[in-house]
Amino acid sequence: MSRPRLDPRALRLARQVEGGGKRPRFALKADPPALHSRRRDPRLLRMRALVPGARRPRYDWKRDAASGAPSAVPAVDPVPANEPIRVESPAFWVLAVLDQSTGALDETDLQLLSVARRLAGDEGGVVALALADPVLATAGADRLAVWPASAVDPAAAEARAATVQALVESVKPRHVLCSDDPVAGGDIARRLAAKAGLRLVSAVNSLTADGRIGRRAGDETWLQPAPALMTIMPGSFAADEQALREARPLELPPIAFEAARLANIGLLPVDPESLPLDETDFIASAGNGVTDFAAFAEAAAALGATRAGSRVVCDAGLLPRDRQVGASGTVVTARCYLALGIAGAPQHLQGITGVRHVIAVNTDLHAEMIKRADLSIIADAQAVMPALARLARQRQEKP
Amino acid sequence: MTGLAIVVLLSLGRHPATGRPRRNPDDARALATALALAATRSGSRVLAVHAGDPRAPVLRDYLGQGLDELTVLDMPSGSDPLPSLREHLVALSPDLLLTGQRAENGEASGLLPYLLAEALGMTLVPGVVGLDLQGDQGRFTQALPRGRRRQIEARLPLAATIPAGTAGLPLPSFAAARRGRIVSLPALASPDPHLVAIERQPWRQLPRPQPRRLKGSAIDRLKSMTGGGEAKGRLLVDPDPETAAAQILDRLGEIGLIRASHQSVTSRDTDGRTER
Repeated sequence: MSRPRLDPRALRLARQVEGGGKRPRFALKADPPALHSRRRDPRLLRMRALVPGARRPRYDWKRDAASGAPSAVPAVDPVPANEPIRVESPAFWVLAVLDQSTGALDETDLQLLSVARRLAGDEGGVVALALADPVLATAGADRLAVWPASAVDPAAAEARAATVQALVESVKPRHVLCSDDPVAGGDIARRLAAKAGLRLVSAVNSLTADGRIGRRAGDETWLQPAPALMTIMPGSFAADEQALREARPLELPPIAFEAARLANIGLLPVDPESLPLDETDFIASAGNGVTDFAAFAEAAAALGATRAGSRVVCDAGLLPRDRQVGASGTVVTARCYLALGIAGAPQHLQGITGVRHVIAVNTDLHAEMIKRADLSIIADAQAVMPALARLARQRQEKP
Repeated sequence: MTGLAIVVLLSLGRHPATGRPRRNPDDARALATALALAATRSGSRVLAVHAGDPRAPVLRDYLGQGLDELTVLDMPSGSDPLPSLREHLVALSPDLLLTGQRAENGEASGLLPYLLAEALGMTLVPGVVGLDLQGDQGRFTQALPRGRRRQIEARLPLAATIPAGTAGLPLPSFAAARRGRIVSLPALASPDPHLVAIERQPWRQLPRPQPRRLKGSAIDRLKSMTGGGEAKGRLLVDPDPETAAAQILDRLGEIGLIRASHQSVTSRDTDGRTER
């Protein structure tokens, strides 16, 4: 007989409750329920809180009722909050090549790091190849390799690709991630693919629970194991909040790079008024509180901002319809939104959810736009706009 | 000034909404660029190449843009065009290779121009919206995100990938479409080994990704999603206009949209690469 025999006496003894009266008492419901059982059993909790050995029943409610542990220890994080997670020798590395097209980490870079972190999991480590930025530690980078002087210029695509190739050869990451921007990260990824003979998997837009990656091809989704080199579709992944990491500087290997064949001449000046609203970086927007549209145009021109307006302004014909911001107009993703005389209807705020910096000028202290803004000025827009134009021109002339 | 041999690669497009075959807008723009460039330099030839089915009716639309002859490397759909194209182009040894930025069918990874440029020893310039050739020196205008434009210089032989932009497809002319010739060449057809192991599922719209938050109560998370809630920024009540304007300009300088003034050096500068 292989089945262990029950010993009724031992079972009975195990169920005996100590500290009762003269008569022995037994807890008939001896088997504790599962740790996070939905049902709360007050009788069981009471029995567990009973301090054994006392003459009168005494209850210690601070004891951890679920596990019956003797004293309550508050659950603490194994790593204190301000101490970064250290990864010494991970099972594998994931290399994230960041664009930082505005010079600082933007949403696309954070999404890329987030995907890298998810691919790395608990066993892997993330190497970020980027411009040095203290924010990288909070964005999930374990190591930080900084672009060398020859590759700091975003136009130096060949030098950048050579840097990535050298880093790939020395670190040997399991995955290399780039952005999908065809003139930045996507260009580097393709140059690397052509040089190193790697197969590029582009525009990855999903990551399944079993670690496969998905991308769209026409009306199909193609699923495959995560490849060595991929570009990440912007907006397909959220920028998760990350625990603090080290972002320890990583020495770059020597880079074999012959003379650059592409010469960067520089950026061309762009007329901000010629840009569509969803492309521009800086918008000055007028609402019902603006009556002096000449001053508004003057201020926008002095600042180099693209003009836009709320629905009321466009309905009144004061600005063309393609300049309307909001749910029924354009949903904008500019870096900065200067709201002049806009109260902030929900439909308007919907249009600027993707904007990072909002500056509001309004006469109403309790307007919704004032709550949304980083810098709020309670004043009449008609007074502020000429001063703004004058001061901006002054600063341009003698910086 | 000698004539140029300009090779344009043309592919079949697919309308994103209806799924009907059409010209690939990027390729159509590349062809228009090549024809315009050839018109400015006497003795230039535009050699258009397509890898696929020579009977596809869409190819006539490319001819309708003013192309006299289109070479088609005949291969069934789904085969890897790289070996045949490489062989064909090495024989042509072009000065300039123009392609669209990305295909609309198949894998559409945008990798083919890079592989061909590598094989032909060409310098590749991506995202070209304007080009100007002086001798063997080319000056390219690159389209960057956020409507910015960058200028790049490079020497021939060059490969350039061209985005469609927002200008719309160049209109084909019916007469030119009838007049143009399609020359079909037999080509080696081999399946792409990388695409064999891929699992294919019907596409469905993915939900909008929500960031995973580490901390905060339900109310905090709701506020962070709508962007509303408590006023968190700096508030100035009834300042005089000059102070208000100075504050706004200082903030814009911090963000890096205008050059920060000398009084406010606390800004997080974007290492001098702001353009305004």
